[in-house]
Amino acid sequence: MSVMHLSNTHYTSLLSAHKNNLMGQDVSWLKSLRKKATEGFSVTGFPTLREEEWRYTNISPIEKKQFVVAEKPGKLDAAFVKAVLLEGCYHLVFVDGFYQAELSSMDGLPAGVTVSALSEALSEHEALIKSLLDSTVETPALGFVNFNTALFTDGAVISIEENTVLDKPIQLAFISSKEAALKLTNSRNLVLAKASSKASIIETFHSVEESCHHTNVITEVVVEPNANLSHNRLQAESLKAYHIGGVYSRLENNAIFNQSNYTFGANLSRCEIHGTLGEASDCTLNGLYVGQDKQHMDNHTRLNHAHPHAVSNEFYKGVLGDSSRGVFQGRIVVAQDAQKTDAKMNNRNLLLSDRAEVDAKPQLEIYADDVKCAHGVTVGQLDETAIFYLRSRGADKQTAKNMLTFAFANEMIEGIDFEPLRMAVLEELLKRFPQAGMKKEWL
Amino acid sequence: MLKVENLHVSVEGKEILKGINLEIGAGEVHAIMGPNGSGKSTLSYVLSGREGYDITEGRVLFNGKDLFEMSVEERAWAGVFLAFQYPVEVPGVSNIYFLKAALNGIRKFQGLDELDAMDFISMVKSKMKDLDMDEKFLYRAVNEGFSGGEKKRNEILQMSVLEPTLCLLDETDSGLDIDALQIVAEGVNRLRDPKRSFVLVTHYQRLLDYIKPDYVHVLAHGKVVKSGGPELALELEEKGYAWVDEKIAS
Repeated sequence: MSVMHLSNTHYTSLLSAHKNNLMGQDVSWLKSLRKKATEGFSVTGFPTLREEEWRYTNISPIEKKQFVVAEKPGKLDAAFVKAVLLEGCYHLVFVDGFYQAELSSMDGLPAGVTVSALSEALSEHEALIKSLLDSTVETPALGFVNFNTALFTDGAVISIEENTVLDKPIQLAFISSKEAALKLTNSRNLVLAKASSKASIIETFHSVEESCHHTNVITEVVVEPNANLSHNRLQAESLKAYHIGGVYSRLENNAIFNQSNYTFGANLSRCEIHGTLGEASDCTLNGLYVGQDKQHMDNHTRLNHAHPHAVSNEFYKGVLGDSSRGVFQGRIVVAQDAQKTDAKMNNRNLLLSDRAEVDAKPQLEIYADDVKCAHGVTVGQLDETAIFYLRSRGADKQTAKNMLTFAFANEMIEGIDFEPLRMAVLEELLKRFPQAGMKKEWL
Repeated sequence: MLKVENLHVSVEGKEILKGINLEIGAGEVHAIMGPNGSGKSTLSYVLSGREGYDITEGRVLFNGKDLFEMSVEERAWAGVFLAFQYPVEVPGVSNIYFLKAALNGIRKFQGLDELDAMDFISMVKSKMKDLDMDEKFLYRAVNEGFSGGEKKRNEILQMSVLEPTLCLLDETDSGLDIDALQIVAEGVNRLRDPKRSFVLVTHYQRLLDYIKPDYVHVLAHGKVVKSGGPELALELEEKGYAWVDEKIAS
């Protein structure tokens, strides 16, 4: 108890220490929003194991580490930046939570599309930002959301005009530099896909070094009627990092939202993927988490079928080796009015060692009476007969195991239609099995 | 090439093979026939290295080396191939990738370079044509959703790509219609070579109409009770396995 109290004091005091040097000091509505979030956080602090939603993920290391706020971007090697930027995208690069114009490129952005860093867009796009900020997260907000709202230093604001199709994906690259060690960064992204627009966004997270840093990033998404938005998230941070992420979305009538979530990095990660579904909207959530060593990966999805005829398809796969631990909590709430809802949730886990562990918890709460809802969870090991079969054809035992592991994970990767992203995800997967003798062109 | 000496094998304490003796020379085709439960499949699994079998007595020499000292993959590298009675489905691993990994594993053991990708594909495609297999099977997951006949053809395809020296075929004729049986048999016959030996494990004589064995052995109650030439298979077909039991009794 005393530890809790002390560390809350640490993070609460950070909020007050920084309240006067954050972006938007002169914007009164933002200042009061931050004040409210600070007050909220000082009451709740970060969540504890005693809360049902957090019973499998102990974030006390974040409290004990007493991270301090990164106040300026660290220096980066140009080659590192180049390596993490995907070809064929518009790029916004953030280093230690600060937008880096000289590393970013939005050349050729079509008319009707706004892509800016929050820190640069506040005066020009104030109304847009005000309408989106804190508009999709639950109230009362979670501790990490309040913390983020109170302290975010930057992020992206993206708006796609009606009937506009974005020709290339927008990549938001969040890089933690060497200087980010023992520091925390808070970023906030705001995305609005207006009616009948179409766009694709890719968020990627990287660390320059295997350092211990803390990332807290929240993305709020609004998909208007008949718009089609794809959102992808590739988290490949340092194996010592603490990553808290969130994607909070609101789908209006007939909106289409495809979210894919690839987790490879961080010592401890927790990602919230929440959505509220409008009438006849269509939401797909795909996820892959690959844990090794002592990594802890928690993915928490929550879909709120608030209106009739919406369709949701959720498919998460986990590969857990060594002493890693995976958590999947998928919650679907079907409101009384949400008749003809069609919701599917599937979570499959592959345990590669006796010490690996997974906690899978699907939750369906259905208040309507004419719906189709299905969920399934599996936890298994590699198929011994398949291993024998592969070995009997000349694959050595390790290659046979790796082939089957890759095959299991690749199901979530082969469907990525944007080739540079597919290759980037595949590379993260291959990096984790260096002894495999696998070749990506074979997959 | 293969010498099985007084082989005794138990599964969970129950003796299945009770002293098998067999000698298979290079280039020979041997058929092992026997009723259900005679130990036929156990013999092929033990030779390929599957787990779950206790070898309680005897030994098997493959080209003079103790087979039981070799791991499953070492047997494959040395040239042993088992065509499975029930080929295993491997979701997510494409046939082409699987064949390539297998062949490169064997070539690496032989001290050869990996085969060039283009050469490999054209080689596999021509062998598929021989087996009347559609090229689309290359890009499908290994055996996943294949019909029984397609799975068996796929086994023969692997065999023809990997070019083993000892081919064990476990009930390859089961689940094949007459057309498929002929295609599979032709595939096997095409592989016959003075340096390559075959062991056909089968319940029925049917397969032997198309793949002519040099020797036929009858297995019953875990022992080879009778050996002879191809005429023995015909005799068995005519008189049935009850005839074997009578012979043992007398």
